[in-house]
Amino acid sequence: MDDIAIRFTNVSKIYKLYSSSRRRLLGLFFKRIPHKEKKAVLHMDLTIHRGESVAILGRNGAGKSTLLKMITGVTFPTEGEIEVNGIVSALLELTSGFDQEFTGRENIYLKGRILGLPDEEIAKLEPEIVEFAELEEYIDQPVRTYSSGMKARLGFSICVNIHPEILIVDEALSVGDRAFRDKCIQKIESIMQGDITMLFVTHATETARAFCKRGVVMKSGRIVFDGSIDDAIAYYNKKY
Amino acid sequence: MSVTTANKKAGVGETIGTILRDHIVYRKQIVKLAVSDLRRTYRASALGWAWAVIKPLVTIFVYWFAFSIGLRKGGDIAGYPFVLWLICGIVPWFYMSEMLTLGTECILRNRYLVTKMKYPVSTIPTFTSISKFTVHLILLVLTILIFILTGNMPTIYMLQLPFYMVCNFLFFTGWALFAAPIAAISTDFSNLVKSFVTAVFWLSGILWEVDSMHHALARRLLMLNPVTFLCNGYRNCFVYKTWFFEQPKRLLYFAVALVVLYALAFWSYRRTRSEMADVL
Repeated sequence: MDDIAIRFTNVSKIYKLYSSSRRRLLGLFFKRIPHKEKKAVLHMDLTIHRGESVAILGRNGAGKSTLLKMITGVTFPTEGEIEVNGIVSALLELTSGFDQEFTGRENIYLKGRILGLPDEEIAKLEPEIVEFAELEEYIDQPVRTYSSGMKARLGFSICVNIHPEILIVDEALSVGDRAFRDKCIQKIESIMQGDITMLFVTHATETARAFCKRGVVMKSGRIVFDGSIDDAIAYYNKKY
Repeated sequence: MSVTTANKKAGVGETIGTILRDHIVYRKQIVKLAVSDLRRTYRASALGWAWAVIKPLVTIFVYWFAFSIGLRKGGDIAGYPFVLWLICGIVPWFYMSEMLTLGTECILRNRYLVTKMKYPVSTIPTFTSISKFTVHLILLVLTILIFILTGNMPTIYMLQLPFYMVCNFLFFTGWALFAAPIAAISTDFSNLVKSFVTAVFWLSGILWEVDSMHHALARRLLMLNPVTFLCNGYRNCFVYKTWFFEQPKRLLYFAVALVVLYALAFWSYRRTRSEMADVL
């Protein structure tokens, strides 16, 4: 029981699509307003143990993003239960999710608090985050003045330096210039030495092989394959 | 450990519990985000903070001109010049109208907190309200100064001003908690609300005295309006010199309205929480 990091029990996510904003409003009051349903994830069972590194493979629209969003707690399942043990840090959309008026430093606290860290803890991590992001004097400027590369660096730095227990990496590891990208990959490799659980979402099967031991292939909201990374890649390449 | 379940299982009590807990855990962050909201509102202009005062001043001037000079109707009320009577009733309205428009849109405007991270969404209306209320506090201080400078020293009735301020804050924070989730789901709703703001303004006795209306039924109906209660309340402190407990019926109506509003707010939040991130 204790070594489970993430557990999905019969999880479904169905998006309601209305043809207009008016219908969506009425849909709040009446269940019978006509709408289409998009089944993004269907009756999914998945258990990921602590310390595992899992690659999620699948084509666009297979439900990968929905899966990740549910793990991070941004979106809610329509049915079923998701259990998450530990601090989740997601390397998705690194440039967004900042308060534009806050300085870089204040945004570190915003993110830290949302992840449930006490202020003293954030204060301890702060120098490391600031140094890794290479923002120097910009760290005390409002984030709206940042370039997209600076935002991405800050986002990445916060995510990897808060000592996450579960790390979610989207394929876009294209952060900043070449040197910084290498530094990021090194950092991920180094934190993977610890007791961290990692989810890696990608189309690039070779990167997945380098980072992960287990592979899960998704199609139309269902898991169609779950096994070792080599078998998963073979399955994925053969089918798609 | 966190467990996320399909949201329909969350009961009403549980929803209220979550909202209260989020407000306690995130109290520091709420204050910071309120400051951020203020900065966002006033930084982009050269005069910055001055706009918080200039806009209301212009509005007050226009109404004073139209009523006192144009219509020649603005006589003294309860022994006070019309313009003073106007100011102490319209100052709370500035906060209300901000909450009716921007409060309704607060989740839409802060969507990054909903779609990019697991932030307690129920605190968005609260920090927006705190931000708008800060401007309200500044205007109230100015109002008191204006009264003193025109030789109208504060009376003992001013002691109840905090009571009406709390009522005002609670009511319109509750409003935003009700309206903002619905507006996040459908932009039609915020347009609907916007088109009624002017109607609410003219039907709430901000520019004219509800108590002096001849039509008894209309007078009673308007007194049920919480906006009338609140504006009248501020005037009780400044000009009418009436204690809030001297009008127990009005107080009761307002209390009922407040409870109903919060019931609706909890319903709306609970109903929309699970869909919000998918729609925004």
